[in-house]
Amino acid sequence: MRILYLIALAGGFAFLGSNVFGGREYFGNRRRAEIPPSVRQTPGGWRTFMHNHGFRGGK
Amino acid sequence: MPQASCPTCGAPLSFRPGTMVAVCEHCKSISARTDRDPRLIGQVADLVDTGSTLALGMEGRLDGRGFTLAGRTQLGHPLGGVWDEWYLAFADGRWGWLAQAQGHLFLTFREQAPGSIPPFESLQVGGTVHLGGTVWMISEFSRGTFKAAEGEIPWLVEQEASYPYADLSAPGGAFATLDYSEDPPLFFAGREIALEDLKLHGAGALAAKLKAQNLPCPRCGAPMPLRAPDQTQRVACAACGSLFDAEEGRFSFLKSLKQVDPRMFIPLGAEGRLAGMPLTCIGFLRRACTIDGLKYFWGEYLLLDSHGGFHWLVESDGHWSFVQPIPLAQIQRTGAVLARVPQAVQYAGNTYRCFQSTEAVVEGVYGEFYWKVEQGEHVHASDYVHENISLSEEIQRHPGGGEEVTWSCATYVPPEEVWLAFKLKGEAPSPQGIAPNQPNPHWKTARQMGLWMALALGLLLILFVYQSAAGERLLFQEHYDLFERMPALQPAAVPLAVPQPGSPDTKAEEAQEPVFFSNPIQVESGHRNLALTLRAPVNNAWIGIDGALVNEATGTTELFEVASSYYHGSDSDGPWSEGGQTETVFLSAVPAGTYVLRIAPQWDGKVPPVRAFDLELRSGVLHGLYYGLALVAILLIPILAVVRALAFESRRWQESMFTTSGGD
Repeated sequence: MRILYLIALAGGFAFLGSNVFGGREYFGNRRRAEIPPSVRQTPGGWRTFMHNHGFRGGK
Repeated sequence: MPQASCPTCGAPLSFRPGTMVAVCEHCKSISARTDRDPRLIGQVADLVDTGSTLALGMEGRLDGRGFTLAGRTQLGHPLGGVWDEWYLAFADGRWGWLAQAQGHLFLTFREQAPGSIPPFESLQVGGTVHLGGTVWMISEFSRGTFKAAEGEIPWLVEQEASYPYADLSAPGGAFATLDYSEDPPLFFAGREIALEDLKLHGAGALAAKLKAQNLPCPRCGAPMPLRAPDQTQRVACAACGSLFDAEEGRFSFLKSLKQVDPRMFIPLGAEGRLAGMPLTCIGFLRRACTIDGLKYFWGEYLLLDSHGGFHWLVESDGHWSFVQPIPLAQIQRTGAVLARVPQAVQYAGNTYRCFQSTEAVVEGVYGEFYWKVEQGEHVHASDYVHENISLSEEIQRHPGGGEEVTWSCATYVPPEEVWLAFKLKGEAPSPQGIAPNQPNPHWKTARQMGLWMALALGLLLILFVYQSAAGERLLFQEHYDLFERMPALQPAAVPLAVPQPGSPDTKAEEAQEPVFFSNPIQVESGHRNLALTLRAPVNNAWIGIDGALVNEATGTTELFEVASSYYHGSDSDGPWSEGGQTETVFLSAVPAGTYVLRIAPQWDGKVPPVRAFDLELRSGVLHGLYYGLALVAILLIPILAVVRALAFESRRWQESMFTTSGGD
């Protein structure tokens, strides 16, 4: 049980520490994406890219 | 020192001041002091060898005053055996009474009774006597019978006379005796004393007189060694079950016992070491009590130490306890008393709860014993428990009306420790159930976790203070008026309507595709989280944001959704509400750089439920969820450990007669 507790403490503080010191978030409606370089080279191209890849806005 | 002659043989007799009776060392005549010549009382029997390390003529010092061991009497106890009373003649003319029994010494001096002494008939063991400012507890009241004597005696003895007495004890080792042989009764007060405190020297030898005897059983011839022949009163042959009276190594057959299954794990004669003492197993009792018609057995091993003292090792259902006597005066009764049994007692600063109280009966007798034990002998036994120590009170009635109470302290011994101590073969049987004084293994774990928990809570607090002190930073704030930014929504074109919950909007299917972009936002730290807050005064409606935080230079994009959704109303259960007008979404830290927010508002229907909403983007925001998770990790397992410990205690007390969940 003591080992289990040590693991739980390590896990709890790992989560908290990475949030406090690393700014990491693990929950919520969010995800990270990378815009391809070819799109980035086109001024304003990412706006069209996002519009066409899931963030259309509206129904 | 006044000298006289023995009326029988003419040998010189010494009568120092205070001597009432003298025993002739030549002819054993006992003579009383008179104004003239000594008066012959009779002849005394030979002294029983009690194994005492004291001897007549020894000199010693106590508190700076010299004394001589001037005389001794031996008094018979109603339960068998005798005890020695030595008389110390001090140089200043005072006399001290030194009682010696089972390795204990009690020194008392006659004193004026500081109050009225209760009549003998009113005494009750465990009761109290108030004398002066002291509350004395009655540990025993009975009658002692004069058996033998030597030297000078400071009181007038009579052949075979019996003397009623009561032994009292008080805190701090105080001891007193009430001598009811005179009217009014005499009061002797003193304390238990160690042999070393008497600083004895001179005649006699201080070496222990214990000498084991290897004798055969007179009935079956099986070896029946006596390991404490000077103290043994009764012996039971382990081979044939014959019970003998034993005095100074001489057996007299009493009867054949129909023994129960002994279930004896430590053989008679086995030597071992427990509690730092070398011990020899010399006797074994199988005892039982009957509760609700069921008989419960346990075994008690009588152990002899190298100083002639006795100890007990008790085995019950595979659980072992080492038992040592404790003074009655150290016990304080507390709580309600049911049928003469207090529900709790105090000892050494701890409260002991009553676990059970029952009649304990001797069912089997094996080996040798220091009292005249027999099958069917019963005592009233009560057990009190605190952690891994239990206290036992045994009240035994004496033949002739006396009563005696003894208290002992039983410390739990792991079975494997007993096996190791006595070098027993095989493995110890697994303990069944939970013993009254079995240590709760879960408390140790829980206590250790409690320490870790305190440290972890401290660390959590430090992190909280650190993050609170670091503060958060506002990176972006914008008020979005949808009617200004979307001309198609001008009131002249479309009336603003608030949809009702659940009512279908036929215009809802019409597509709305507003998308806004923020001005560049500067993110300076790549190690602080981000929080985007949406505030919209929605009322039985919702508005959401599909958003993205985009770094145009690197392509890093954090995509998110956030919605304000607030509904309320009332039904048969009363008013209700759900959701809120403010919602926050947390984003992971993004690399330092310049970002743009892409905002795509969403709602049901053609018309937005609100005219405007506000957005805020902050960095380094304290996210309570992670503190909550850490708190759960810190508290959950210690709470489970405490629950396990409490469950163990609950199972332990289910066996008690005084459990709160049932029983008496």
